[in-house]
Parts: sequence; structure tokens; C-alpha cells
Amino acid sequence: MEMLYHQYKRRVFGMAHRIVGPSDAEEVAQEVFVRVFRGLAAFRGDSALSTWIYRLTVNAALSHLARRGRRQEVGDDGLSELPAPAVTERDSALASRIETALALLPPGYRAILVLHDVEGLSHEECAAILECRIGTCKSQLHKARARMRELLGPNIAAQAMQTTGATGRSD
Amino acid sequence: MTTCETIQPRLTAYLDGDLDGESGSVVRGHLRECAACRQVARDGAALRDGLRLLPPVDPPMSMWAGVQAQLAAAEVADARKPRWRRTVARWARWAPWPPTMPQYAAGAALAATAVVMLYWRTQRVDELAPDAVAVAPIRTEPPHPLRTEPMAPALVASAGDDVTADLLAEPARTTESYAQVIEELMKLASEARTAWGDEQKAAFDTRLAALRTGIDHAAQGRPQQRAQRALIRYLQLAVVRDDVMLAGGGAR
Repeated sequence: MEMLYHQYKRRVFGMAHRIVGPSDAEEVAQEVFVRVFRGLAAFRGDSALSTWIYRLTVNAALSHLARRGRRQEVGDDGLSELPAPAVTERDSALASRIETALALLPPGYRAILVLHDVEGLSHEECAAILECRIGTCKSQLHKARARMRELLGPNIAAQAMQTTGATGRSD
Repeated sequence: MTTCETIQPRLTAYLDGDLDGESGSVVRGHLRECAACRQVARDGAALRDGLRLLPPVDPPMSMWAGVQAQLAAAEVADARKPRWRRTVARWARWAPWPPTMPQYAAGAALAATAVVMLYWRTQRVDELAPDAVAVAPIRTEPPHPLRTEPMAPALVASAGDDVTADLLAEPARTTESYAQVIEELMKLASEARTAWGDEQKAAFDTRLAALRTGIDHAAQGRPQQRAQRALIRYLQLAVVRDDVMLAGGGAR
């Protein structure tokens, strides 16, 4: 049992951390493992074990957000109210700005970005976890990235180069 | 002719390497000529790379203790439940939603209908196949040289052929899926096995051999899947609980 926990703890916690935020990640991850251990005997094997565990993780995270009453969708009007990050913000590494922007995404977009781009799962795996078609997954990923680009502002590539340049100079 | 409106929606797939051959070439060709789309592509790549490079997050050391505490609390709660509620909970584990009385009836009716329809459909396929073959020999005129299907096409399911093939392929997919799960659980069980005593290891090995023999000797299709599910249940118990002897039904 403990072996199963250690095998999946990082990914489960990482997914929870980036979907619900750092303050609630431990609670959600614990809930996931309790469900895994109590449900493992009834696991029917109709998907890979990892797929099942990650599905539990995403569902638990999204349910947690719904219970907490976070906003499910931000319309275009909502996005326009967010301040556009300054391109020349010297002290903010791109990574921390990406984390901030990720937290501002609607939960569904956040989930697909975390699964595919952060955790590196394939489209097929993401579709199995989210229980949707692969085409739907790809479409959601495209929209999620588009929202991220809006939140991060223009010239993300230039921001990345500035961060790299700053790191190089400080070394 | 490609435009920015047709290319930009494809950039995500292009940056992920999902566009091959001509599709990829079309996008690349447009990017060579369009500075605006090139910038969007650069930003998309920087975002993709930035997400990939986000550092992994380590769980706190206290998390395992929290899991154990919650499991213990859940088991205490189970022990306090009246027997009928435990039975309902056992049934609910196999249902996709929390059961209520009306849903019991609806779920049971739906399941029964699905089983009947599936049985009727597979039976109908079995009935049709021999008839389709039997029809051909009793035709009085030779078949048209270009006709590849027998006469009386109404007896052969045409619109349903794809569905029939899909249904016939389902058992093989299920068997393969179970085999993959067994492989994953075997890895976990093998790791757990290293911490067992000799008696437990022997019990596990004996039971495992018996279950594997059951799978090997079972007829393809449902009998083999039943045997696979038995092995899956055994491996799940071996991984979740170290009580291998109890799972194997042996004496301690």
C-alpha cells in the first residue's frame, strides 16, 4: 500500500497543487489516496491503473474547486479586467508568471494544461483521464494555451529570453 | 490559400508535432511568409516550454500520515454502519452514481435492457452469418461476375456490419485491457513481495501460478476474462493488504 503511495504521490500532489492551489493541495491529494486504497479492490481494470488514479485526482481537484465556489469560467469580459502583465517586469521570472497565470485559468483549462503540458501526458492519456474524445482534448488544449497567452501578454518569447539573459548575467 | 485565420488554430498541433506531411508543410510555408503568425508560434513555443519546465512539486512529509489517519477514520465509520448500509455501499461501488431507490429501479431496468439488446444483436449476427452463406448455393442463376455479395442482401446486415465487427472485436480489446492491468499490478506485487516472509511468498507464488494456469486454460472470451478478473482481484488484495495468506484463502 505504501509502495503504491510513494509511486504516485509526486504526480498526484503535483496535479492537485497546480489545479487547486498550494493551500488545498495536500487535502485533495490525501482524499485521492484514500479513494484509491478504498476503491482498489473494486477497480475493474477497464483502464490503466495510472489513468484511474489520475482521473480520481482531476475529479477530486475539480470537485474541490466547485465546492469552494471558485469561478468556473471567465468570460472575455472578465479577462479584459485583468491587468496585462508588463513585458519589462524585471524581477518576475517567466516561470512564476506562468504559475500565476495558470492559477487564473478556468479549472477545466487548467486541468488540461497541467495534464498535457506540465505532466507531459499524451493526448490519448489526457482523453482517458478526462473521459472525453481526443479531438475534444486537443481543442481544449488549444483554447487553454490561447487564454494563457492572453494572460501573459504579448511577446512571451521575448520575456523568456529576458529571463534567460538575466539568469546568465547573474551567473 | 492559407490565411492567418486558418493557420493559427493549427499552431498548437504543429508545435506539439502532431501535424505531419503536407499539413505541417502548409503551416511552415505560411510561417515563412507571415511575421504575425511567426510571433504567435514563437509565443506558443515559449509558453509550451515554460510549462514543461515548471519545477515538480514535492508533497509534504506529513501527507502519508494524513492518508493513514483518514483511512483509519473511514474504517471506524464503516464498522459503525448498519449492515444494510454496508451492503448498499458495496453495490454502489459498482454503480457510477450514489444509489437511491428510484435509481436502483432505473439502473436495473437500463442494465437489463442493454444486456437483452446486446444478446439479441449478437444472436442475430450468429443467425445471419449461416443464412448468408446458405442463400448463395440455392440461387438458380450464376452470380454477376462483378457482384461480390450474395443475393438477398436484406438477410445480411449492411448498415450494421461496422457495428457487428466492433461488437465482435470487443472481447479481444477487453482481454488485452485486462492483460495490461495484470502487468501493472504484477510489478507492484513483485515490489511488495520483497518485504514478505517466506511463508507469504510461497502462498503468493502458489496462488499466482494457479490463477495464471486458469487463464491459460480458459476458453477465449468471457471465460478467459473471468479468469483474468480473478487474478486482478487477487493482485489488488496482495498490493493493498499484505495479508496474502488471507487473500489466497490459506491458513495462517
